[in-house]
Amino acid sequence: MITSRNWLTTALRLVAGIAIAVPAALLLGASPAAAHPMPHSVVQLDVYEHSVSVRLELPVDDFTRASGIEVSAKTLTARTAAIRAYLVAHVHPTATDGRTWQVAVGRLGLSRAVQTDTGQYRELVAHAVLTPPSGADLRHFTFGYDAIVHQVVTHTILVTIRQDWAAGKVGGKGTTQVGTIRIDTRTMKIPALTVDLGAGSAWRGFVAMLELGGDHILTGTDHLLFLLILLLPAPLAAGHGRWNGLVGPRKAMARIGRITLAFTAGHSAALAATALGRLDIPAWPVEAFIAASILVGAVHAVRPLFPGREALVAGVFGLGHGMAFSFVLAEMHLSTGQLVTSLLGFNLGIELVQLLLVCLALPSLLVLARLRIQPALRLTGAALTGVAALGWLADRLGLANPVARAADSAGSHTTLLLALLAASAVAAVAWTLLTRRRPPADPVPAL
Amino acid sequence: MSRDRTVQVRKRRVRRRMAGVAAGIVLVGGGFVAANAASASGTKAATHFAVDKKATGVGAVVSAAHTFLNTLDADQQSATLLDFTQANATAWSNLPCGSSCRVGIQTSTLTDAQLSALKAVLKSALGTGKNSGYDQAVQVLAADDVLNTASSSTGSASGAPTDVPSADPSATAAPTSTDAPTGTPPSGGPGGGGGGGGGYGSGNYYLAFLGTPSKTGTWQLHFGGHHLAVNITYKNGKVAGASPYFVGVEPSSWTDASGTTYAPLNDMRDGMLALTSSLSTAQLAKAKLTETFTDVLLGPDQDGNFPETKEGIKASELSAKQKKLVLAAIHPWIANVDDATAKQLMKTYAKELNETYVAYSGSTSLTSQGDYVRIDGPGVWVEFVCQDGVVYRDKIHYHTVYRDHTRDYGSEFSFS
Repeated sequence: MITSRNWLTTALRLVAGIAIAVPAALLLGASPAAAHPMPHSVVQLDVYEHSVSVRLELPVDDFTRASGIEVSAKTLTARTAAIRAYLVAHVHPTATDGRTWQVAVGRLGLSRAVQTDTGQYRELVAHAVLTPPSGADLRHFTFGYDAIVHQVVTHTILVTIRQDWAAGKVGGKGTTQVGTIRIDTRTMKIPALTVDLGAGSAWRGFVAMLELGGDHILTGTDHLLFLLILLLPAPLAAGHGRWNGLVGPRKAMARIGRITLAFTAGHSAALAATALGRLDIPAWPVEAFIAASILVGAVHAVRPLFPGREALVAGVFGLGHGMAFSFVLAEMHLSTGQLVTSLLGFNLGIELVQLLLVCLALPSLLVLARLRIQPALRLTGAALTGVAALGWLADRLGLANPVARAADSAGSHTTLLLALLAASAVAAVAWTLLTRRRPPADPVPAL
Repeated sequence: MSRDRTVQVRKRRVRRRMAGVAAGIVLVGGGFVAANAASASGTKAATHFAVDKKATGVGAVVSAAHTFLNTLDADQQSATLLDFTQANATAWSNLPCGSSCRVGIQTSTLTDAQLSALKAVLKSALGTGKNSGYDQAVQVLAADDVLNTASSSTGSASGAPTDVPSADPSATAAPTSTDAPTGTPPSGGPGGGGGGGGGYGSGNYYLAFLGTPSKTGTWQLHFGGHHLAVNITYKNGKVAGASPYFVGVEPSSWTDASGTTYAPLNDMRDGMLALTSSLSTAQLAKAKLTETFTDVLLGPDQDGNFPETKEGIKASELSAKQKKLVLAAIHPWIANVDDATAKQLMKTYAKELNETYVAYSGSTSLTSQGDYVRIDGPGVWVEFVCQDGVVYRDKIHYHTVYRDHTRDYGSEFSFS
């Protein structure tokens, strides 16, 4: 008893320790530039297989002070060449063997930003591509950078990584800090930042994409809702233009399996084709098509529109959902090798989570169909889904509305969603067991 | 049927047993938490410190410190009395980052009696001049209250919640943004009270004694908040260092309800102006720095990082009158410490004057962002810089720092 109690206290202490240590670490991990009331520059790296893409955020006031180039929305186009030349002169990545990388500064923009204690200020945003010389290690280099700080010596530059596929950093979940560039006040020189991105591997990229895929379907309410609303009437029999009667669990399960499989086949095929073909499809028609698919599913749940052909419909609409999935991959600008690996991982992640969700929903679907309140539940579900779909449709067609926002935000409550699904599954199984155990209402034998 | 029932019963038993285990876990866990809470808020008695009301000089500072400590309970005492470590000594900032960047007991958590005892400590330790020492510190705290009111009424508070996508995602400790550590820190903090982890206002200042105040040992008076950092180190009954001393102000001047106008840093500014305006064109050319400064170079976390090469015009090249102006310019910073010590330090800096450099950047008018003056000697280091306002966006505000190449933190630490 004493030992078990000790074990418990140790475990509790451990949990409490983690609970305190994690936020504490987050607090202590504050950027060193946070000790600075003036806005700092941010260099955000996207690490690809053969190049590093950077997004530079430079406070306009300090930029002008350092470069002598006045920047405003009006003059930006006229000053583009001068700004690019200035940046090229102040961005110096070099390989570990001393050879210099190529720097190409691309598009420029202006925006407004706020940092800790700075108030709002204007910033210049520049994009550049850094390419190592042939044979040089892309994951280990020296980042010479002195834009602004060569002149404004109190300026600091925060260098962060936004995407690094080979290190498993994907999905736009914030940035990690690589280091800070600031003047060494003793020597009044600006030391270059040594960037060590670690080894990196295709496996880490694959695992990250697997997680991203699972996360994507879990938080992407629209994909899930489409599938679930199609599955809702699966255990029901259609006749005379309405849902009446049951089809029996075996047939219902077969239908659910077919619909899920067809949806999977449809979105996988479209995802692979769009991603590998690097098709540049505009987002809004695809998103609108998805919203429409959900609306069709919702109507079908009220009155059978295409009884017996649900699988086909799931497959066809699945194509649209697959295209939407491909946007995630397209955004990452991966090399072909990384893209193929990503495609596998991402799709596998989607399928695994989808399978899990369908399995969790399965018992409830079967049980609900047998309840007396089934029509009411089905109609409520269909109505809610229909409203969400209409909201999305309007939103994707350019009419932002609170319905779409609410429906989208539902995806952020994944734990609640999973808990509800799991609880309903447990309840459904328990109900089945209880009703089955209860003996059929056979006449009480006369004594 | 009977077999079914046996299975059922067995299942029920298992369920009951599991429920029992779960309840046990909850009970033991709860007990553990409760026990911890009890020991944390303990019944430890406050320590009593000897007070000598007739003491003078450092003795009076020690006595005032002891009097303040005697007004505190045991928990407050342990929040105030900290070890004289490098980490504690260098925990100061010019930012409204509250307890996330500072150590010590927070002013807002003190009763009126405790607060006046705290003020008595400052009064005995700091200089008695007008617009310097204690008077300046009190005004800087008042300025922070003005700033607090202004930033909450205009809604232009710094660190306002942002929906700008390019805002720095890693920035923390903003006074109002969601990533700010608000409320009581997880542990070791001063505990409870208003003000939270950051923000403006005189309730957001912190006092700590690093080491126990005494006339024989080594200890540091460590007081500050937004725009103020006082670090006075005592060794064997003498001041071993009155720096780093950071002082800034926003708004640079204001008028209170009674019509009194305050401008706590204007004497500092005027001293610098008198000095730079005395320089000839040729001298100004020598004193001009090519770099631009938007803040002081040696602010928080830059301990020991003095430039190896001094820049600007050497005071030995200045006239006797101009040399006097150099000393007069640095005096308001040195005067942050008690008058006797300030006099001693001024003597030292006067001796080193010929090896002292004056430099500036921007314009010499000290009216716009980037206007900057520095005085750098073998010992003394003073910087004065103009910055665009953070809350009063159309006004300039001042940041300044006084350091000493060898005496920062009483020479207790080597920053190499």
